[in-house]
Amino acid sequence: MKHTRLLTCAVAGAIALALPVGVMAADFPSRGLEFVAGYTPGGGHDIMLRTMAKIIQEGKIVAVPITVVNKPGGAGAVSLGYLNGHKGDGHFLMASTSSFVTTPLTSNIGLNYKNFTPIARLGIDPELLLVNAQSNLKSLKDIAAAGKVLNVGGTGKGGIEQIVTVLFAKALGKKLNYIPFQSDGEVVTALLSNHVDFIVSNPGSAGEFIKTKQFVALAISTETRSQTLPDVPTFKEQGYDITLSLFRGVVAAGDIGAAEKKYLAEMVRKLSETDEWKKSYLEKNRVEPAFLGPDEYAAFLADMNEVYRTSLTELGIIK
Amino acid sequence: MLDSLIHLAAGIDAVLTPYNLAVIFVAGMIGTVVGALPGLGPSSGIALMLPLTFGMPHVAGLCLLTGVYLGTMYGGRITSILINTPGDAPAIVTAIEGYPMMCQGRGGLALGISAVSSFVGGTFGLVVLIFFAPIVTAYAIYLGAPEYFMLMVVGLSTIVLLAGDNVVKALIATLFGALVSTFGSDYVSGHVRFAFLPDLIEGIDFVAIIIGLYGLSEVFHNIEKRTVLNLGKPSLKIREYVPDAASLREGALPTLRGSLLGNAIGILPGAGPTIATFLAYALERKLSRHPEKFGHGAIAGLASPEAANNAAVPGALIPLITLGIPGSGGTAIMLGALIIFGLQPGPLLMMQSGDVVWGMIAGLVVGNVFLLFSNVLLIPLFINLLRVIQTHLASVVIGLCLVGAFSLNYSLFNVWIVLIFGVVGYLMRKHSYPSGPFILAVVLTPLAENYFRQSIMLSQGSWGIFVERPISLTLVLLMAATIAIAIMNKQGMFKRGPASRAS
Repeated sequence: MKHTRLLTCAVAGAIALALPVGVMAADFPSRGLEFVAGYTPGGGHDIMLRTMAKIIQEGKIVAVPITVVNKPGGAGAVSLGYLNGHKGDGHFLMASTSSFVTTPLTSNIGLNYKNFTPIARLGIDPELLLVNAQSNLKSLKDIAAAGKVLNVGGTGKGGIEQIVTVLFAKALGKKLNYIPFQSDGEVVTALLSNHVDFIVSNPGSAGEFIKTKQFVALAISTETRSQTLPDVPTFKEQGYDITLSLFRGVVAAGDIGAAEKKYLAEMVRKLSETDEWKKSYLEKNRVEPAFLGPDEYAAFLADMNEVYRTSLTELGIIK
Repeated sequence: MLDSLIHLAAGIDAVLTPYNLAVIFVAGMIGTVVGALPGLGPSSGIALMLPLTFGMPHVAGLCLLTGVYLGTMYGGRITSILINTPGDAPAIVTAIEGYPMMCQGRGGLALGISAVSSFVGGTFGLVVLIFFAPIVTAYAIYLGAPEYFMLMVVGLSTIVLLAGDNVVKALIATLFGALVSTFGSDYVSGHVRFAFLPDLIEGIDFVAIIIGLYGLSEVFHNIEKRTVLNLGKPSLKIREYVPDAASLREGALPTLRGSLLGNAIGILPGAGPTIATFLAYALERKLSRHPEKFGHGAIAGLASPEAANNAAVPGALIPLITLGIPGSGGTAIMLGALIIFGLQPGPLLMMQSGDVVWGMIAGLVVGNVFLLFSNVLLIPLFINLLRVIQTHLASVVIGLCLVGAFSLNYSLFNVWIVLIFGVVGYLMRKHSYPSGPFILAVVLTPLAENYFRQSIMLSQGSWGIFVERPISLTLVLLMAATIAIAIMNKQGMFKRGPASRAS
């Protein structure tokens, strides 16, 4: 009996906590928002969306609950299919990174970036070339001089990690054996256990391992050195012309109403201006702030699509 | 060792406040219910609770999430045993032995035994987590794609044990399962297979398949056979539901073996509790002196997978805590929670936020004890609830299955999948095609395929990778030995067969 009463109280408390506090728009959103991550939990997409959801809810930027769902697989293709299945519904917001452009180019999935509604670009983050601290490879020179075909780990097929690897292989004039893993976590494990010779990954996933000196970053894919990792030389200053950074943005489903688009854009803009976002996401994940609104982001995506289409065709990944 | 105990004591001290205890209590109950509902498993349970934790202190918030996680592992078995509808993937094996016990009127015993096994498994897993987490991680990460591939093959080999009498039918079911599993995106090649509809780009949801194959097909079968469950006389006396000493003794060794196996496999990132339960079941069947009892309510076949299931939970937390790498869907969401709470998962987590992590571990210890008692005390409630709704059981189960299917993705697509696999399951059963090999193939073949391709890519085309690495080689030899013994046994049986008939 006592247990039942305690349970009732606790459940009532839990419900009270979950109730929305303020209302922003009358008819939209009519239910909770769903944030869609195209990769497994713990990866870059997932961390970004969960941090966004937390700040938006705690800061009461919107009144409805937000759920983050993971739709991993096919280098983002699964999440594209999922979001496309909710065409015209503004309750979905999906993380969009380079794979948002490259996956439609490399796989025949019948969808591309034009099928979705760009909302905002929130930042860019560079790619790092990382080796295990115990590795014999201590510099890009060692990689260039290696006598065997080296194994390279990265997330997914045809994504930015593979493009960087292929560009690097081309610049070196030697073969590199790229192996796709399902998530950033698996890529990090593969390097920790020396199953691969080096990995191409983003600072968000590998940063903690650089701090513990388990990994060493040999190169970064930005134009100039990053402020957060000032000791890491760029590919460029080491004589390899590779500048390709991952962008991090959000898109909504295609064909959504103008009011819904405006609502989402406003929500994301407010989020990006909070100190909490800068502190707990950008700084922590070593992402450079680079905000773009819906129209600029749409134009940027069109540019990126061209860049990727050209380089992927050149490299023989697409015909 | 002593360090761990001091940290744990501090953690328990932090947890033992009325507020935290209430949180753990509620989390366990919610987890039990969520786990019991078909379609809602640990991942959805934790995801549902996540927004509630935002305003809470870190320790309480993490206790809520881990409590729900642990609770779902207890809850998954309830619907498996009562209505043959596994609440989530690791509970499939529980249905194989638990539901026949229910049909025989031993449902209360099945619930009791499985609650005790769950507790022992959970406790074992926690002990490993508390004392050996860093050591275990150091070894676990050295297992790579080749070892995982071999592990999947060992898992697939248990099909022989789930096959029943007709091996050809079992193989047909296996291949059918392998075919079903290939639908959807493939991250190694980036291609999409058999996506006739946009919904299929994601593949067919595994949980929708089990809901249809077990829950719905059971209803169809019962309607045809007009089966009435033997529920005994109404009774609310706890004493009648607490497992007796003899049953506990029968389940003791299998529970210990299941705990070990479940914990070991739970630690490996990506492998997960589902495989642990199937392997634990296969092992018990192999070791049993009465293998003919399996499938008809064998206590060993119930206790071991349940222990494995719950031992896998703390196991999956080990790589999360020590490396920031999640080993299962549930822990993956925990990872997100850690980040949202402002902690930084990774190799430094224990040093930077040790107090929070130890508080969470203490919460698990307390929650596990609480869940044992609540789950034993709730057995009369479940059994009598089922008695009340028995005349409408078919409608209730169909309702649960369809709502569960819808909740997977909030779309009608999975409702169709459940209906299709309900009919498939019914037809398979009517023509005695075993469902175990089918479901095992659905779970394991995609993993086996991906790990195989990664292995061959790592070795740059050489098959030698499977025998050059010590652990992989051990698994290969183990497999070879199992097959050899199976063949020798079979020949021995053939020799004995005619002789016994002659005498």
